[in-house]
Amino acid sequence: MTLTLALPTGRIFEETSELLLSRGVKLPPAVRAGRRLRIEADPFTLVLAKDRDVPTYVEHGVADAGIVGVDVLSESRPDVFEPLDLGIGACRMVVARPSSRPAGFYRDLSVVRVATKYPAVTTRFFHGRGIPVEVIPLAGSVELAPVLGLADCIVDLVQTGATLAANGLEVDEVLFESTARLIVNRASFRLKTEALRGLVRRLEGEREA
Amino acid sequence: MTRRSLLEIPSGVQCFLGDEARRRREIERVAAEVFRGWSYEEIVLPLFDFDDVFTRGGGASSTDGTYRFIGRDGEVMALRADFTALAAKVVVSRLSRRKLPLRLFYSGEVLRYQPPRAGRREELFQIGLEHLGASGVEADVEAILVATEALSKLGIDDAVFTLGHVGFALDLLAGVDDPDERASALEALRRRDRDGLRRIVGTGAPDLTALTGGAEVLEHVRRSAGSGDALSRLEHIVSALAALGLEQRIRLDLSEVRDFDYYTGLVFEMHAPGSGLELGGGGRYDSLLGRFGREMPAVGFYLSLDRVSELLAKRGVSSPEAGASTVRSLGEALKARKQGKRVVVEP
Repeated sequence: MTLTLALPTGRIFEETSELLLSRGVKLPPAVRAGRRLRIEADPFTLVLAKDRDVPTYVEHGVADAGIVGVDVLSESRPDVFEPLDLGIGACRMVVARPSSRPAGFYRDLSVVRVATKYPAVTTRFFHGRGIPVEVIPLAGSVELAPVLGLADCIVDLVQTGATLAANGLEVDEVLFESTARLIVNRASFRLKTEALRGLVRRLEGEREA
Repeated sequence: MTRRSLLEIPSGVQCFLGDEARRRREIERVAAEVFRGWSYEEIVLPLFDFDDVFTRGGGASSTDGTYRFIGRDGEVMALRADFTALAAKVVVSRLSRRKLPLRLFYSGEVLRYQPPRAGRREELFQIGLEHLGASGVEADVEAILVATEALSKLGIDDAVFTLGHVGFALDLLAGVDDPDERASALEALRRRDRDGLRRIVGTGAPDLTALTGGAEVLEHVRRSAGSGDALSRLEHIVSALAALGLEQRIRLDLSEVRDFDYYTGLVFEMHAPGSGLELGGGGRYDSLLGRFGREMPAVGFYLSLDRVSELLAKRGVSSPEAGASTVRSLGEALKARKQGKRVVVEP
């Protein structure tokens, strides 16, 4: 039975294709060319999607499964199954503050202005601690916001911290660790159980051995 | 403030036209006919009630996003967010002298405010039934049989029923007493997040993907976890369904808990190829009626009119109007109508 698999073309694309390759799934050249967005790669039909769109395709069931980071899942909270932590694409979701300010300085502000690509994650975090927050949604280069005085701090995904340091920022607190997950549509899990279990086993590889 | 156009619609509002409107009526008609065929009696439930009917009755998870308003006497009211709690209230208050088991069905919309996401509209059309007063396996099996027939009569012969039992999950969480941890564990279970579950209940947590599949799942679990009450109940149900020729339609998923916290036993979901969303679901809720003052075992399910209709549309089922004869006057129209013809008057 053919499975439709949504692959993220963004941040974790390289690690995803390496993982697939190591599990014996070689992506056809057309995937890297990046023009065609639906590609047959027996036994899979691959759908190339923006990272944030992967959960959407899977939740609606137009893709049976997909690979996506916890950062994206935490933001959009799709109603899907998450049977496998793939362990790749590791990074941290953090609150970062200007290095000139003391740790947790924002607690003393009446309202903390936070620039982020993750408004839902940000709101949940600050409101969960009883701190009023003004979210400033940005599409990228979030580190710029404190430099320009647009925000007091940022919530963003950090891998090495080099970009933070280059913009005079440092990690104030880690919200959660993010790795890539295999996500599965709820109906597909029932209708294509064997094929999907095969996929889970295959992707687990030696991790479980 | 800019003046809003009279044409603007609030989010969540729907309107069905043409083929879609006809198909939906047809689905309701066919399902109702099947339910009546099994001697389920229709009840028409109120569109709103006191809020606590849903919160205290249905449980917290069923009332996320309830549309609430303040009634004339200052009480908090809610638009119905769930039929089962309303039906339970009516059974305890109005139908308490009826002979058991009681078989009831209803159809209509429930309303839940929710952010737009796959298949989650704010106005959800459901057709559902409740079988009340019987605790036996027969009632569970009857509910599934009725659902199978309803889907078949609607032209969905390939629906798959996935069965589980909440007792299995409850056993798994038996040692988790902290309410926050318990909620996280349930969420991990709901997401089939094995690693997340193991972080909470320990490495003894089963491989959740091994808990779904055919009848071999029961065998697998009996060997690894021993046979608890939940397991033997489920085995009874599965073998009864197999004896009735439904083996091919049944799958098992022992990690299924569903969203409503009133389920106490069997839970099931219906899916069919071509739809990425559940067509319906249900289960046994033996403690819900007790919340309204009278202990009574019960089992029931709902079918999603929205998703069944969507699937039928995808499969090319249309509901065309019968042809009409054109008449020139209202007099001619009357004559044609007396003969039962469909007419269109074009003077």
